[in-house]
Amino acid sequence: IQDDHKLSTSELEEKYGTSIDKGLSSARAAEILARDGPNSLTPPKATPEIVKFLKQMVGGFSILLWIGAVFSWISFGIQLAQGAESPFDNLYLGVVLALVVILTGIFAYYQEAKSTNIMASFSKMIPQQALVIRDAEKKELPADQLVVGDIVEIKGGDRIPADIRLIFTQGCKVDNSSLTGESEPQSRSCDFTHENPLETRNIAFYSTTCVEGTATGIVINTGDRTIIGRIASLASGVGNEKTPIAIEIEHFVYLVAGVAISIGVLFFIISVSMRYKILDSIIFLIGIIVANVPEGLLATVTVSLSLTAKRMAKKNCLVKNLEAVETLGSTSIICSDKTGTLTQNRMTVAHLWFDNQIYSADTSEDQTTQPFDQSSPSWTALSKIVTLCNRAEFRPGQENLPIMKRVVVGDASETALLKFAEVILGDVMNIRARNKKVAEIPFNSTNKFQLSIHETDDPNDKRFLLVMKGAPERILERCSTIMINGKEEPLDSEKAEAFQTAYMELGGMGERVLGFCHLYLPENEFPDTYPFDTDSMNFPTSNLCFVGLLSMIDPPRSTVPDAVSKCRSAGIKVIMVTGDHPITAKAIAKSVGIISATSETVEDIAKRLNIPVEQVNRREATAAVVNGMELKDMSLQQLDEILCNHSEIVFARTSPQQKLIIVEGCQRQGAVVAVTGDGVNDSPALKKADIGIAMGIAGSDAAKNAADMVLLDDNFASIVTGVEEGRLIFDNLKKTIAYTLTKNIAELCPFLIYIIASIPMPIGTITILFIDLGTDIIPSVALAYEKAESDIMNRRPRNKRKDRLVNEQLAVYSYLQIGIMQSVGAFVTYFTVYAEQGFLPSTLLGVRVNWENNAINDFEDSYGQEWTKYQRMYLQWTGYTAFFVSITIQQVADLIIRKTRRNSIFQQGLFRNKVIWVGIFSQIGIALILTYGLGHVTALNFTPLRFQYWFVAVPFAILIWVYDEVRKLFIRRYPGSWWDKNMYY
Amino acid sequence: MATLNEKKTCSERMENFRRFVWNPETKLFMGRSLINWVWISLYYLAFYVVMSGLFALSIYSLMRTVNLYEPDYQDQLKSPGVTLRPDVYGDRGLQIYYNVSDNKTWEGLVTTLRTFLTAYTPAAQRLNVNCTSNTYFIQDTFDGPNKTKLSCKFTSDMLQNCSGITDPTFGFPDGKPCFIIKMNRIIKFFPGNGTAPRVDCTYVVSVRANRAAFLLYEQGDESRPLEVDYYPVNGTFNLHYFPYYGKKAQPSYSNPLVAVKFLNITRNVELKIVCKIIGAGITFDNVHDPYEGKVEFKLKIED
Repeated sequence: IQDDHKLSTSELEEKYGTSIDKGLSSARAAEILARDGPNSLTPPKATPEIVKFLKQMVGGFSILLWIGAVFSWISFGIQLAQGAESPFDNLYLGVVLALVVILTGIFAYYQEAKSTNIMASFSKMIPQQALVIRDAEKKELPADQLVVGDIVEIKGGDRIPADIRLIFTQGCKVDNSSLTGESEPQSRSCDFTHENPLETRNIAFYSTTCVEGTATGIVINTGDRTIIGRIASLASGVGNEKTPIAIEIEHFVYLVAGVAISIGVLFFIISVSMRYKILDSIIFLIGIIVANVPEGLLATVTVSLSLTAKRMAKKNCLVKNLEAVETLGSTSIICSDKTGTLTQNRMTVAHLWFDNQIYSADTSEDQTTQPFDQSSPSWTALSKIVTLCNRAEFRPGQENLPIMKRVVVGDASETALLKFAEVILGDVMNIRARNKKVAEIPFNSTNKFQLSIHETDDPNDKRFLLVMKGAPERILERCSTIMINGKEEPLDSEKAEAFQTAYMELGGMGERVLGFCHLYLPENEFPDTYPFDTDSMNFPTSNLCFVGLLSMIDPPRSTVPDAVSKCRSAGIKVIMVTGDHPITAKAIAKSVGIISATSETVEDIAKRLNIPVEQVNRREATAAVVNGMELKDMSLQQLDEILCNHSEIVFARTSPQQKLIIVEGCQRQGAVVAVTGDGVNDSPALKKADIGIAMGIAGSDAAKNAADMVLLDDNFASIVTGVEEGRLIFDNLKKTIAYTLTKNIAELCPFLIYIIASIPMPIGTITILFIDLGTDIIPSVALAYEKAESDIMNRRPRNKRKDRLVNEQLAVYSYLQIGIMQSVGAFVTYFTVYAEQGFLPSTLLGVRVNWENNAINDFEDSYGQEWTKYQRMYLQWTGYTAFFVSITIQQVADLIIRKTRRNSIFQQGLFRNKVIWVGIFSQIGIALILTYGLGHVTALNFTPLRFQYWFVAVPFAILIWVYDEVRKLFIRRYPGSWWDKNMYY
Repeated sequence: MATLNEKKTCSERMENFRRFVWNPETKLFMGRSLINWVWISLYYLAFYVVMSGLFALSIYSLMRTVNLYEPDYQDQLKSPGVTLRPDVYGDRGLQIYYNVSDNKTWEGLVTTLRTFLTAYTPAAQRLNVNCTSNTYFIQDTFDGPNKTKLSCKFTSDMLQNCSGITDPTFGFPDGKPCFIIKMNRIIKFFPGNGTAPRVDCTYVVSVRANRAAFLLYEQGDESRPLEVDYYPVNGTFNLHYFPYYGKKAQPSYSNPLVAVKFLNITRNVELKIVCKIIGAGITFDNVHDPYEGKVEFKLKIED
């Protein structure tokens, strides 16, 4: 940044060629606008749509299918050149494969685009306006039309439209929290106060807000050249890496592709060495690839993820990137903000001290009464001070709203007191009206108290009441008596001691403490007409009567402690990162359970044992409160040590930049880190985190842009529900994949046996596609609706290096056990169909060459009957249909067993997930339509199958179910056994 | 979004793989200890033995349920297929081309016919009985030896001029070749509904499909329809050869044949001829199956 803050007004006018009174001329402004571009942040560079689209076309299995398609076309070309009889089959197959790739690609692209659009609509905001002086006239202009040198006026509530050097201010305060994370408003003036432009008071920054007052300034930076713009572009520099689920899916694709290619090549070699023609071998290869690739699976995964994303959106987690759904589930550390996320983001009275006793107040979100003892006359006196010595007021017209939801004009503490009084006493405004205010000294930082003088509402009492509140020690100084049970007693050292103890205790809880005192002015000295003058203070301000203390805190959201303990049992470490004071941070951390009741920090141990902090064994302390100052001086090793050794960590007084360091530290531990953030300069940390969570209400656009997820209600508890959903979808995707992989074996075996045993082809490539993209799709999506088998939040987060989505057990169990059973069932159906039509199993072996010979039209079956080629082909299609139907029937059993991985189906309930039944009926419905509805369309190779063949595979379906129940029974019965290790996926 | 740097160099990958295959520290071979491998192999061995057993059991019970004399269903065999001898297939179906003056071009065809007819010598047919009735030969009982049924004799001499006995060259060098038409066997199929089905050969009169015939037609050659001699007389399949009771019941059954002799084939023109079997229950209009109830072939005789 330049040295604009050091320049005088006239120098600035000269530098920017502008005039403070007249502003720029429109022509000049247009020129600069043309030069600098509009005053808006360039959105992060998005991948061009066409690239995204093409990526979907070549990602995953698409390459394999493209290879299949190309091979089909090659063999079509060869056959065409050789003048074979029906070469078009291969052309069509190639086209179908290409269509499959393109359609699934379009589908995935569409899904992705849809979820991106949700975000886009979310971040769209009403265009900001700015009040600009141009051509010596005040004009409202869209903020993006601002140029360097423009003179703009801002007032309380406005967002600063650009980086501005202030030239005139009146009580101006800005909230720089979006920039620095510091939520305390900072005052702004025209004076040059600091060498560093970021610290000096005469510059207001783009996207911060003006809280109160007015100001006029010269625009010195616009768009990406603003401070915020630079941070934002820094954030987009942090690269987008793969999500855990993307890695898992890639791993799975490699695995399946590996199986497909190795089996394909193996059987290519086998078929060549068995003297099949190369062309035939290539066709086998295509078949094997098609059988091995679960064409519909990636689409299914996308659908499952977007279903979960929708479900999460209902629970206030808006997911920007579909894959982030699962990332949240594997989260092992959550770095959470305090204010607004863990707390309610509003000051609330938490404790009171009067009559030498501390009372607790209700701090929940929807309080309607306060339960503490209100019978003491001291409380009556205290409540009067609280009510009267307060400038905050409710905005009118909110009488029907609950008190806690009403909007208040006034600062945070006064608001807290007003609401507190309103809850207990009701209608504070009326009380104030009855006790007319005659004089007032507002709070200021020099005397640190606030004072007002009122008439009393007792018509017989003509005395004036002086009420005062302020910093407790300052208030006490001015008191000579103290009220105990309504009686004024002299303030001796013992009572002062009691006050000190209470003050320390409340302060130690991280609360902001205020002292309250009053004095009834004697009627004879201060008659009705007495002219109170606040400047000369012609009334007593000492020897007052101390009444009590009130302490306030931004209390935790009531759902948070529960959510934190859920995280704890789910093995997720919650780290609080806040800009607040360590004591407040620790108090909140304790009250929400981030620091548990029994654990101690090094400082606590030192205090308990009465030894210096250095002598404490750091390993003994489970908790740690780290100050941002300390963090600044720490080496990476020291930070790692802290993250490693302490299970409960609070980072206080941290700057958002340090958040990035903390996130990186956690990631060095191998953790999957979720980070919450709202400010612009949180965006690098949000980007860096495995999952960045932006606040929907308090969050800045930049934070939302950088995040993967937006928390609509800013509530920490919503993150935990998100984690739960994420874990569930990981489990359910396992089930989906296991379900889908199983039938691949039943699709693959026919090819292998066809090649080796030379039987008529049991299933066609097109038929396989009808299973993969037809009957199987809805059931596999239905598994995404499956409920969790046990409390998934009692489990540790998955280890991303060990707990794979598709592990060895899953693949082996699906491929080599259930898949084989399915194949056997389907082959039994196949042989049954052929046998009952005239070809007994023994006749079929080795029959392939003659069977497929077009020149043999009197092919003899087991009974001596003779078949033409077409009659055989039709029987072969009937075989395809029978095989298809058998796989479908057995996939129903497969679907049911995949509902659980450990529990019995009866524990899980067959009917709890209704969508599964939709899946089953759709599966059978589609099979019926294909068989009987489209059975006459020759190109599809389906025939109207005799109805009894639907039931041949039923015993095998039942076998699959029983076998899997036994497997699960042993897993439950013998945890940790050989069986458990090998059979649990 | 997260960084999960799993980029490894090739040598690291190789090293990892080697470590996976045999890890000397944990003594794991491909991720399992040797004893574990033994267990898992035993488990899978047992599993597959049981699965094979189940498969065998299923096939066994399937074989127990099927009838060994006739299949349960004949869904695809509603109407018999028809085949032609000699059967020379080109790229587009049956193509019989030869040159009368070059005996190499037709000797193969003649041999095919001769070989085909060896199954119809009196010696080959000696197990079969002489049938004279012109009705279906219905046998409800097993009258033959070894629980079989009787089959009617069909000897090649019934094909008279095309039997290969009088003319061993089957008329090929004369440009008046003999072809043999065979109807496929279907168990318990009663063709013709009491009337013996007969073979009828004509030119395929489709303009596009048979340009040569079209040309003949254009030249006013319609006066010359295809002249055919059928053997046996009228080109009929005698009803006493039907029904067929299956290989197990009639092991020595042989299909009745009809021979056709084309008398007026125009030389040096490719002709498309179709021989249909006319009879109730025999359809020849299945668009998908060119050999159901009929046989089409191209014939070209050069000189």
